[in-house]
Amino acid sequence: MEVAAASNIASTQRVVLSDVEPHVATWSSTYEIDPWSIPLEKKIEHLLQSTEPMRGDARIHQVLGDISCYRQEKIFASTAGSYIEQTTTEMGGGVEAVAIEGSEFQRRTYPNPFGGDFQAAGWEFIERLDLPRKALDVRDEALALLTAPKAPAGRFDLIIGSAQLALQVHESCGHPTELDRAMGLEISLAGGSFLQPSMLGNFRYGSEHVNIVGDATIPGSIGSFGFDDDGVPAQRFHLIENGMFVGYLTGRDTAPAIGRKSNGTVRAQTAARIPIIRMTNINLEPGPTPLADIVADTKHGIFVETNKSWSIDDLRLNFQFGCEVAYEIENGRLGRLLRNPLYTGNTPEFWRSCDAVADRASWQVWGLPNCGKGDPMQTMRVAHGAPAARFRGVEMA
Amino acid sequence: MRSEQESFEIVDRALDAARATGAVEADAVFDSTDQNISRFANSNLHQNMSEVGAELTLRVIVDDAMGVASTTVFDADEIARTAALAREAARHSDALQNFTGLYRDHEPLPDVCTFDDATAAIAPADKARALRQMFDRGRTSGVEFAGAYGTGATSVAVANTHGVRRYCTLTASDATVIAIGANGSGYATTIDRKNVDVVALGEEATFKATLRADTIEDIEPGAYDVILEPPATAEVVDWMNLITLSGSAYDDGSSFFVGNIGKQILGTNFTLADDALDLDFLPFPFDLEGLPKRRVALIENGIIRTPAVDKTYADRLGFPPTATCWNLGGTEHGSAFHLSIDGGESTREELIRSTKRGIWVTRFNYVNGLLEPKTALMTGTTRDGTFLIRDGEVVARLPNLRWTQSIVEAFSRIEGLTRERRRVATWYNPFGGTIAPVMKIAGWNFTGKQESLAV
Repeated sequence: MEVAAASNIASTQRVVLSDVEPHVATWSSTYEIDPWSIPLEKKIEHLLQSTEPMRGDARIHQVLGDISCYRQEKIFASTAGSYIEQTTTEMGGGVEAVAIEGSEFQRRTYPNPFGGDFQAAGWEFIERLDLPRKALDVRDEALALLTAPKAPAGRFDLIIGSAQLALQVHESCGHPTELDRAMGLEISLAGGSFLQPSMLGNFRYGSEHVNIVGDATIPGSIGSFGFDDDGVPAQRFHLIENGMFVGYLTGRDTAPAIGRKSNGTVRAQTAARIPIIRMTNINLEPGPTPLADIVADTKHGIFVETNKSWSIDDLRLNFQFGCEVAYEIENGRLGRLLRNPLYTGNTPEFWRSCDAVADRASWQVWGLPNCGKGDPMQTMRVAHGAPAARFRGVEMA
Repeated sequence: MRSEQESFEIVDRALDAARATGAVEADAVFDSTDQNISRFANSNLHQNMSEVGAELTLRVIVDDAMGVASTTVFDADEIARTAALAREAARHSDALQNFTGLYRDHEPLPDVCTFDDATAAIAPADKARALRQMFDRGRTSGVEFAGAYGTGATSVAVANTHGVRRYCTLTASDATVIAIGANGSGYATTIDRKNVDVVALGEEATFKATLRADTIEDIEPGAYDVILEPPATAEVVDWMNLITLSGSAYDDGSSFFVGNIGKQILGTNFTLADDALDLDFLPFPFDLEGLPKRRVALIENGIIRTPAVDKTYADRLGFPPTATCWNLGGTEHGSAFHLSIDGGESTREELIRSTKRGIWVTRFNYVNGLLEPKTALMTGTTRDGTFLIRDGEVVARLPNLRWTQSIVEAFSRIEGLTRERRRVATWYNPFGGTIAPVMKIAGWNFTGKQESLAV
């Protein structure tokens, strides 16, 4: 009460909340094998089996394996009459090899860096990752990168793999469609958004191939839930439809500013923090074309995959991404391995250059457990579904 | 914030529980923070929160192997469960390499003042009134403000089974203020053990937001001399903590320190230290393993001296301890939480006057240092005040620019440093931050810019 009273001293705008129906409900994510039923010995044995195959070459300086399990139990109650209990169980895992030769340093990971991939699942997810077998590919590619030629600079047709494109969606669509960011409420930390409310429905964000949805209902994803931390049910809605900017991620306290009701995306890291708009599963919808056909249709280009570095400006316009690996594409075929690829661009120009989105066979939901926002910083678990896709004339640095 | 008696009761309970599991050695950290953060945007206080938090971390050593567990519940049962978890983790861990045991030297602590009663007593209403004053002044200058203003008080207790016992209370106040005008924005920030003057920061940000507001130019990508304000430099050296300075970066080979200890790699006018004893910075007497803080030169006159290591990695890597453990059992194995860059003899005005054609940078945005860690190749953009200098004068505002630059190369080309230094907070670092001068660096590599939106 003391804090709320103090707010009145320096507040010039009244808080207006969009309506919400009261809900009394329980919701849980599902799993087949409880992560906590697996003894620590078995988890460690699995990691040793996954990392040992990567050792043996003197140039492999370090090998790492990660298995993590996470459970959150949450009760939401409000004076609107809601009482909601939710439980989420998640698992993550991955492997990594660090190769060094002379001044060259290369890190290769599977299936993603920073602890691997994450799902709302049990131990069965770790088994599906098949880390012991994939580790050999990780080792071989880390070693090959030491002597691979540097990815060239210039403009190229770029095919971006599913894991990297997931992060591209995160930074260049997920964050700029957060309505609080567009309203300037997050500007002091990571900036605002070029997507302003006046552009809703009339701004061409990408080509007609680009459809991006917010979907908190995908089973097995760490970006899913039953209700957000306003007590609003999980929803699926378009942010980008056939390339047009049509929607924001909203909460009860921001949606009225654009004349809409909350679409249920506010979450808090802990009960002590203020719920703010967070990505759920922000997905690039799959297209009609098999990835192999897109590669075959590319005369001279580059394929990049797995994020290594990420940076975007304070309006989410100018970006630069580095990837762990790249491959030449010549006359429709993947060619030489290339190291240290960097690509850069302007968000709407980039998405407007998308001329092919691969089909569901390459589409995968990637869990990102470390999205940062807010002050004090709140780390949130989000996810992105993405296929591979092709972008014409992208600048490589 | 908890009293010394209450803190040590919890820590001692944890050490007893560790002994009961059969641990040969153990240490524990109990920290508790009361904080209030006021966030504002569009000259409106829109998020205002107070939080009381506390955490116990327990580390046990069994057969030279380490296990760590933490909890936010402090009754006997939960502490016993935490100790059992730490013991179980140690049982499944390999022995630490060359480990000589937990700290046991009982050296005296430096006498530094870390607590300000007035700051600890600030009420949310006091802060709101200061913000209201800043908002009102902004209206007369044609700017709106966004940012955050925080105050907090923390207690930290550290103890281990060798009888080492440390306790300290500290206050901190920090603010970031962005002034947004019709043609640009400006920025100011600082952190202190005492309450910061948010109204003065508002004036400073307003100056930057309105400077050359009627003259906007554009430049092509390329190498330009830059004058970096302390918040820009702070973001770069924060990244160095991750990719260069930490024990783990040295151990995994990604740090450019590897193979270069004792060698002149950077410019002779660049010295970077971990310094929690500087009374003008953010003093603190010990690290979380109980070692007394001292000034540790990490890079001295361009010569690489030592990574920042915790005790386990000091033993593993063969470096003297640097008293830089801020996370028991953390994967970074040492972080420089009091980053201090030595100043020079210049003033900001002299650096600007000495620049024929260059760029004055207020701050960076979204720096990433993972591109090529061996050369500390980083990228980021500028924001909240980027200015063109021509013939020694600030002549125009510039759009936000992207840069991609090896920091090893950049810190070899420092052409000037100011005497004046500024403290900058770091979001992940509750104990310290960065203190840096304004730096002039030749040939900073700008690779792109924030283009106008094509509709």
